[in-house]
Amino acid sequence: MNAPLRIFPKQKRGRGVAAGWYGIARTATIDRAGAWAELDDGGTAKIITGVTEIGEGILTVLAQIVADELGIRPKDVTIGDNDTARSPEAAHAGATRQTYMIGNAVALACREARQRLVKELAQKWQVSEDDIICSNGIIRTLDHSQSMTMSEAVQYCKNRGVVPVGSGSFTANHTGLDPENGSGNPWQAYVYGAQVAEVEVDTETGEVQVLGVWASHDVGRAVNPQGVEGQIEGGVVMAVGQTLMEDYKQEEGYPTSMNLAKYILPTSLDVPQVNSVIIEDPDPLSPLGVKGIGEPSMIPTAPAIINAIYDAVGVRIHSLPATPEKVLAALREKRERADTHEMLA
Amino acid sequence: MASFDIQMTVNGRPVKQSVSPHLRLLDFLREELHWTGSKEGCGAGECGSCSVFVDGVLMKSCLMPVAKAQHSEIETIEGLEEQGKLNVLQQAFQKTGASQCGYCIPGMMMAATAALRANPYAGREEIKERLGGNICRCTGYQKMFEATELARDVMNGKLTIELLKEEKEEGPFIGSNSFRIDTSSKVTGALKYAGDMVMPQMLHMQVLRSPYPHAEILELDTSEAEAMAGVEAVVTHRDVQGIDGFGVFTDDQPVLARGKVRYVGDAIAAVAAEDVLTAKEALKKIKVRYRELVAITKTEDAIKTGAVIIHDDVPDNIVMHIPIRKGNVDKGMAEADFVIEETYYTQPVEHAYLEPEAGLAYLDADGTLVIQSPSQNITHHRQKLAKILDMPVNRVRMIMSPVGGGFGGKEDMHYQGILALAVLKSRRPVRYVFTREESIIASAKRHPFSIKYQLGLNREGLIQASKIHMLADAGAYNCSTEGVMRKAAILAAGPYAIENLMVDAIGVYTNNTPSGAMRSFGAMQSQFATECHLDLCAEKLEMDPVELRRKNFFKEGDETHTRQELGSVSMLEVFNSALDLADWETGISNSRGATRSDLAQSGNRPPCTLGARQFPLETIPTGQAA
Ligand code: FES
Ligand code: FES
Repeated sequence: MNAPLRIFPKQKRGRGVAAGWYGIARTATIDRAGAWAELDDGGTAKIITGVTEIGEGILTVLAQIVADELGIRPKDVTIGDNDTARSPEAAHAGATRQTYMIGNAVALACREARQRLVKELAQKWQVSEDDIICSNGIIRTLDHSQSMTMSEAVQYCKNRGVVPVGSGSFTANHTGLDPENGSGNPWQAYVYGAQVAEVEVDTETGEVQVLGVWASHDVGRAVNPQGVEGQIEGGVVMAVGQTLMEDYKQEEGYPTSMNLAKYILPTSLDVPQVNSVIIEDPDPLSPLGVKGIGEPSMIPTAPAIINAIYDAVGVRIHSLPATPEKVLAALREKRERADTHEMLA
Repeated sequence: MASFDIQMTVNGRPVKQSVSPHLRLLDFLREELHWTGSKEGCGAGECGSCSVFVDGVLMKSCLMPVAKAQHSEIETIEGLEEQGKLNVLQQAFQKTGASQCGYCIPGMMMAATAALRANPYAGREEIKERLGGNICRCTGYQKMFEATELARDVMNGKLTIELLKEEKEEGPFIGSNSFRIDTSSKVTGALKYAGDMVMPQMLHMQVLRSPYPHAEILELDTSEAEAMAGVEAVVTHRDVQGIDGFGVFTDDQPVLARGKVRYVGDAIAAVAAEDVLTAKEALKKIKVRYRELVAITKTEDAIKTGAVIIHDDVPDNIVMHIPIRKGNVDKGMAEADFVIEETYYTQPVEHAYLEPEAGLAYLDADGTLVIQSPSQNITHHRQKLAKILDMPVNRVRMIMSPVGGGFGGKEDMHYQGILALAVLKSRRPVRYVFTREESIIASAKRHPFSIKYQLGLNREGLIQASKIHMLADAGAYNCSTEGVMRKAAILAAGPYAIENLMVDAIGVYTNNTPSGAMRSFGAMQSQFATECHLDLCAEKLEMDPVELRRKNFFKEGDETHTRQELGSVSMLEVFNSALDLADWETGISNSRGATRSDLAQSGNRPPCTLGARQFPLETIPTGQAA
C-alpha cells in the first residue's frame, strides 16, 4: 500500500492555456459547392443545395444568409437539401467547410436570382439596378419613391415571363502538397483559437474536474453567434471527454469497450462552464467573409487541461486520457522523486 | 411466443393491442404505435434518449418490458406540445439554441420536464444532476442548462414569456441569433431519422460480422439461411456486380468481406428478412470456416520488416506518409540553446453520435435505387455505389436522412453498400438499424497517435527548429487516414513561425478497428503534442508560457510550414482575448496553482458536489455559473 499523500488540502487548482490553428474546407485540394435559388411566390425563397445538416445548424446559417441577400426573413426561406437526384453537389459535411463553401455558393445563387428580379423592376421604375434595395420583404428605390412587397415583385416578374432564379458555384483554390517537402497552399482561409482551462485535481483520487474554459476563436464572421457558441461548447466538451475519460480499448484486436457503460462519455455533471468570445477577422477572398468553427473549437482544449493539471499539481501527463489512475501514478512518482531527492540532500 | 393484450394510455389516448411479450416499452411505442419521438441511443439505460413518463415517473423505456406498463399512463415527447404550440420548455430550448442534431432532445426534454416537475425552483446544480442520466454528444449541455433555467423562471412568473421570442424580426440577420429553422421538429420529436422510417413491405437487415481480427475465409455457405421462411435475401461479396471497394481516399474496403476479414466487426454477409428476429436467426445459420492469421495490433509491429501483410497491394502496411521539410533542421537544432524532447500519445476515440447508424433503401418506381441514410457525404457515396453496383450514376439516388450526430463518423460508407445489395436482390425496401454495440465495433475511430517531439529554442524563447514524428494507427482500412495524416502534418507545428522544420505523419494498417475522420481530423492529436510541449519548454527556459507563445506566433506575411504566405493573422488578438476573458495572471513558473490569484472566479462552475469533501478548498469559489 502506498502511504497517503502529504499534500493538504487534497484538492488543488490550476490553470493552463493553449493555442491552435486550423484550415477551412478541404485540405490541399480544390474545393467546390453548388446551389440553386429561386425567389418564389409570396416573396419567399427556395434554395436547393446538397448541404448536410449534421446538427451544427448549417440550414439556419444558410437561411440567414439568404434572408440578407434577398431582403427577406429567415422564416421565408425553404431549403431543399441533400438528395443526389434533386440538388446540386455541395459535397460533404466535414473539414469545417459548410458555412464557408455552401454559404458562399448560396450567396452567389441568391445574387443571381435577385439580379433577375431587380432588372425587371429597374426597367419598370426607370432607375438603375444599383438604386434598388431589398429588405424585410420590401423592394424599393433608394429614394423611397417606388416600392412594392417582394411578393408583388415576384408576381410582377412572372407576369413578364421571368422566373427569378439563380445558381451559384463557389470554389476554394487550394493546391496539393509537394510529395517531397510538403510545400503548397492547402487552404485559403485559416482560423485561430485559444483557450484557458481551470481544473481542480483531487490529489487523493487523481480525479480531475474541469471547472471553467475560456475560449476565443476567430470565425471570420459569425452568422449566428449563438450557433458559434454552441459549436465551441460542444467541441470543448468533446475534448474534455477525450482528455479525461474516453478510451476505446482493444486487447489484441478485440474491442473491450463496446457499449456506453464501458465507453464513458461526459455527462452534465462533468462539463465545465464554457465562456466564449468570438473574434471576427473576415476572409477577404470570398463574398461573405465567413470562415468556420466546428472543428477548431476543440483543438486547444486538451492541452489547456493538461497544462492546467501541471499547474495544479506539478505532474505532466503525456498520454491521453488523463485518468485518475494516471494522475495518481504520476503524483506518486513525483513524490518518490522528491523523497529520493530529500534523502540525497 | 404467445402474444398478450396490453392496455395503456399514450399521450392521453387509450391504446389496446395484442403484443409479443419480448417487446420493450420502447419497441412498442416506436414499432407498434409509431410514436418514434423516443429514441434508442444505447438500449441499455445509459443514454436517456428513450426517456418517457410512466404514470408520471421518468423511465428509460429501453429497460422496461412492455408488460410492466400494463394499464399505465405514458407520456412521450410527442405529448408535450400544448394545443399544437410549443410549451414553455420547448420554447426555451428554441430560445437558447439548445438542440443541435436533436437526437438526444426528446429524452433531454423529458428529463428537464421531470426536473421542473420535481422542483419548480431547481437551481442549476440540481438541474445538472437531474439531467445527469441523459447524454448529449453535440451541445456540451450549456444551452440545455440555460434553457431549463429560463423555462423555470418563465413558469414561475419571474421572467415574462416575451423573453422567449426571437430577438430579431427585421434584417439584417447575419450576426443575429435567429432561431434554428429545425428546432420545432426536434423539440417535438416530429423529425424522422432513418431508424424511424418505415415503408410498406419493408424488410429488416442484420449483418454477420467477423469474430476475428485477422482471418482467411475458407468457406462461406449461406444455403441454410436462404432456405429459412421469412428470409428474403442473403447477400455476400458474390452479389457485387461491379468493382468492389469503397473508402474516402482509396477503395480498399469491400462491401462484404472477400476471402479475408481484417478486424473484429468486419462485415461478411447480411440477411434481409420479414423481421429483425428472423434475420438474426438466419445469421446463425450462415456457415463460415476461418483460418486465423497473425493479427497486427501495434503500429510498431506493422512497420517491422517481414510483418504480416494486411492488404496485398500495400506490402509495407503504410497507408500514407506525409512529409514536410523546410530549412535545415539539423543545423537549427545544433544552433539552439535548448533542445527539448518528449513523446506524446493520444488514444482511439469513439464518435458516439447519439444516433446509431441506420438506413432505409428501396427501388423507386422507375428502378432507381434509393438509399436514405445519415450520410455525411452523399455525392461521394453515390459515385462509389454506382461503381460497385455497375449502375449508371443517375440510377443511384442517395438521400441524406436527418443526421443524429456525425463528427466525421458518418463519412464512411460502411453499410449503404450492403443495403443496396439486399434491395437489389430482394426487390423490396430494406431497413438496417445498428445497435450501439454494432455501431461501436464496426465504425471508424479517431486515430490514436504517438508523437515524438523535438524542439530547439534559443535563450530568448524563439523556436529554432522543430522535428515531429507521428505514427498513427489506421486500423484495418484506409477510410480517411490519408487526409488525417495530411492535416496532422500541415498543422502539427502549430501557429508559430519556424524556419527549420521536419514533420512526418505516417498512418499504418493494423488489425484494429479502422480509424477514420473525426472532428479536428489529426490536427487535434498533433497540436495536443505541440501545446503541451511548449509549456514544457517554457518551464525549462524559465519563461512564461504565454510569452513563449506570443514570441513565436505567426504574423501577417509569415510563411507557413508549407511555405504559404499568410494574409491577415488573428492569432495574437485571439490569444490575448482568451486571456483577458479568463482574467489570466501572468507569471513565470508553470506549476504555480498554489499561488495564483486568478483562480475560482466567475466563469467556473462549482466543483462537483457528489461525495463529501474531507478538507476545505484552498479557495472558495466566489463566482457561480450564472
Ligand atoms: S437509455 Fe434507453 S436507449 Fe439509451
Ligand atoms: S443535440 Fe444532443 S446528441 Fe445531438
